[in-house]
Amino acid sequence: MLTRVRSLLRVLTSRRGFEDAMTEELRFHIEQYTEDLIRSGVSPQKAARRARVEFGSLNSVQEECREARGLHLFDELARELRHAARLLRKSPTFTATALVTLAVCLGANLTIFAVINSILIRPLPFPEAGRLVTVFNTYPKAGVERDGSSLTNYYERRGLIPAFSALAIYRDGTAIVGEAGSTEREHVTRVSPDFFSTLGAGPIIGRGFKEEETTFQADRVVVLTDAYRRQHFDAASHVIGSQIRVDGIPITVIGVLPSGFRFLSSEGRLYFPLASRLEDRGPRQRHSGGNFTHMIARLKPGATIAQAQAQIDTQNSRLEVDDPDARMMADAGFRSVVAGLHADHVASIRPTLLWMQAGALALLLIGAVNLVNLLLIRANGRIKEMAVRQALGASRSQVVREVIVETTLLTVGGGLLGLAAGSGGIRLLAVLGADRLPLGAHITLDARLAWVAILGSVVLGIALAVPIAWFNLRSHLANAIQSETRGGTPSRAAQSLRHGFIVAQIALALVLLTGTGLLGLSLERAMAVSPGFRPDHVLTGQISLPWNKYPDWPARLAFNERLLQQIARQPDVLAAGVVNNVPLSGKSGKSAAAVKGHLLRPGESPRGHYSYGVDGDYFAAMGFSLREGRFLTAADSRRAERVCVVDEDFARYYWPHTSALGQRLFEGSEETKDAEAFTVVGVVGAVKQAGLTDDAAQGAIYYPYALRTDDNLFVVVRTSLPPEALGLTVQKVVRQTDAELAVNDVRSMETRIADSLVTRRSPALMACIFSVIAVLLTAIGTYGVLSFAVAQRCREIGVRMALGARPEQIRNQFFALALRLLATGTILGIGGAWLAGQAMRTLLFRVPPLHMATLAGAAGIIVVVSLVACLLPSRRAARVSPMEALAGE
Amino acid sequence: MGKTADLLPGTLDMLILKAVSLKPLHGYGVLLRIRQISREALEIPQGSLYPALYRLEHQELIVAEWGQSENNRRAKYYTLTASGRRRLREEMAAWKRLATAIAVALNTTSEEV
Repeated sequence: MLTRVRSLLRVLTSRRGFEDAMTEELRFHIEQYTEDLIRSGVSPQKAARRARVEFGSLNSVQEECREARGLHLFDELARELRHAARLLRKSPTFTATALVTLAVCLGANLTIFAVINSILIRPLPFPEAGRLVTVFNTYPKAGVERDGSSLTNYYERRGLIPAFSALAIYRDGTAIVGEAGSTEREHVTRVSPDFFSTLGAGPIIGRGFKEEETTFQADRVVVLTDAYRRQHFDAASHVIGSQIRVDGIPITVIGVLPSGFRFLSSEGRLYFPLASRLEDRGPRQRHSGGNFTHMIARLKPGATIAQAQAQIDTQNSRLEVDDPDARMMADAGFRSVVAGLHADHVASIRPTLLWMQAGALALLLIGAVNLVNLLLIRANGRIKEMAVRQALGASRSQVVREVIVETTLLTVGGGLLGLAAGSGGIRLLAVLGADRLPLGAHITLDARLAWVAILGSVVLGIALAVPIAWFNLRSHLANAIQSETRGGTPSRAAQSLRHGFIVAQIALALVLLTGTGLLGLSLERAMAVSPGFRPDHVLTGQISLPWNKYPDWPARLAFNERLLQQIARQPDVLAAGVVNNVPLSGKSGKSAAAVKGHLLRPGESPRGHYSYGVDGDYFAAMGFSLREGRFLTAADSRRAERVCVVDEDFARYYWPHTSALGQRLFEGSEETKDAEAFTVVGVVGAVKQAGLTDDAAQGAIYYPYALRTDDNLFVVVRTSLPPEALGLTVQKVVRQTDAELAVNDVRSMETRIADSLVTRRSPALMACIFSVIAVLLTAIGTYGVLSFAVAQRCREIGVRMALGARPEQIRNQFFALALRLLATGTILGIGGAWLAGQAMRTLLFRVPPLHMATLAGAAGIIVVVSLVACLLPSRRAARVSPMEALAGE
Repeated sequence: MGKTADLLPGTLDMLILKAVSLKPLHGYGVLLRIRQISREALEIPQGSLYPALYRLEHQELIVAEWGQSENNRRAKYYTLTASGRRRLREEMAAWKRLATAIAVALNTTSEEV
């Protein structure tokens, strides 16, 4: 078998050579024979004739030779392809409609599949990436679903979990990189030395980090990503050993990562060792993950996540024995969870993507139904030809093959156009913000996608051929000619097949439209949620303070003060403040606080609260509302006053019956000396911290910046101008305050809110596009089928009108047919919409799965569009002239 | 030319393999060689020679190579491959078994029944 395929391939690859060689060989034979004949005494003329006669027909010998090499099948296929192409060229309207339908439907599917392929399917770019896992701490009863992992976790687990062959920890952050005056704020990742070996990918030039580089002072080394190296070093220069300034300190480059190195969605372009002091690694810090330090590990070959989980659980319970916090953590539901690194990273987006693909497939189904109907109508036009050919001996397999060749030619053509449409779609998705999805920065058309497109097209072509082939095979000569001469009605089966398809199409379009409505309504309701502050006219930007220049709070506070003074001096600035994290930044961390006098009730677990440090007029700048008491001011920070402001959720939870003012609380999970307590001086309105659709009233505490500083801060400016107009001013002022600093991530609060809804908006928009196309396709389909019904029954109509039927009667008859189809489709569609609504519950926000108004609206659109599509053919039916109808043909 | 016999179905391939096994030949040469080694008894229909050659080449029992003919013309020469040699051996054995059986059967006299 293999030898024959090989031989066939050899011939196919040089078909021209094969033909030439064959001709030459046969000519040689005839000429030799002629010469031999002449030599034996035959006259040259007679010899040539005899040689040719005895050889037989050259053509049939050649054909037999080709057949011997298995070429005839391909020749036949080529012939059928040419035939099909000729037929398609002969009906350009049909072909164009079909190709556009296919291009749009396949393009939509390919676009979504490109996203699914890039995000869900394509393995992470590491060797045996399926064995990479992440481990994170969770405290569900305290309202903290994820809290990363702590340094302590890392040092306690390293080498002690038998299921792991490697374990590493990393922390995303920012740093100021570059010389004074031309600094940039860069995303950086600090990693443990075994980070690269855990991933199985590390520097291609130079080396990774060593164990001794995880202590301060010894940690002044950096590994660059290829992107950073390209931007800052020319290709020829020697990178290893050169120095770059990071946070004002010269740091030595020791390695460069390969260009393909991508760690999840990390924006980090520089990798540093994650340095820490011994006390940062001790048991007291075991629960200080704080959702910015994360653990990854590699499973040993053959080890499972369940085994690793069991080993981690065992170790955790052994460590709990002498942990003073153990009881409280148990109350909080503490657990360390092992999850697949890839799966965990994309878990949030997975259902949305799968639903988008389902929507795209529904669209494809609608398009396919349209095509089948168009093809059936076409086949009907060739019914006589088919019947005659079958009567003359065309085999069933020939009829079927011919149909398959034609539909596959169409779908493959449509698939190629669809690939082009898909690459446009991917660009559209990028505009819609798909690059902000996890792993979304690398959505590409790759070889797998091209294969899926071609394979899918072929499968679709064969699927489309099934009903057409069935129709063609049923057309027997007698019937076909009879139905023609009698001018009778077309075959019932084919008609009900077409009608069934229309019903299915209407139902599917209704489901798609309803789903879109639910998504759109969810988006609208999410956007209508008040964030709790006034986001208009607020500009924000991020600044990182190098720790060596700003090591403690007085230095940082002094910087804030200078910066805020400068900003306040700018025209059109109404208020300015500083905070270590703005709401909806996506990085809100929660931490514990102990309220004086609050005893945990049985079953109550300690809670995590959003905690912030604020300086300047933060509350006024962000537009918080004051419920009680006063806001924190710059003076509170300057004096490092132990006061704080809580939000109303917090106040309501701890002091439901009394005023929060004057109450005291402690940072951390337990009460300590009274001198450490913070006094509540104000209550502000609750704001959405983690996301607009996050309804958990978790509570928030705002401390003076001096008492909760951070080397990363947000500057918040309220202005009377459109906020973006102030961007350059803020940049300039920051440079004036400290030439080594840079501000970036400069966005208005409104933009931040809009960006936080990207996983809702993009799907809703895509679904909307799908629905518009679906409705259009349904209208085209209904119109086409009904027009055909009218054209086909033209003679019947003519007869009836000649016998006295009124035009209205004829029109109503067709209209009634349309209504019947529409009603059936709508009822089925409502059922489908209900099921789809139930299934996509997780994507909905404040919208019930069965939303009557949406359903009614969607049904209304479908009904109106379909009726308009029916109206035209029905009226044409009513205008049929009996004379023409009967005289026709 | 003496009396010629018609070929039995399936024997053409075997004869071609045999002819080519003696010496690489071009198509016309195969024709002549078969005539020669059968002592002019077997006449191959010229038209069916080439499809048979192509079939054998397709099965990789013979390989073709361009070479010079006796009168210095370009011609396609066929050579037996290893699997062709094996096939020839098998077919010859099968043929001999068949021929013997048929001969025995045909030589049977009434006394032997």
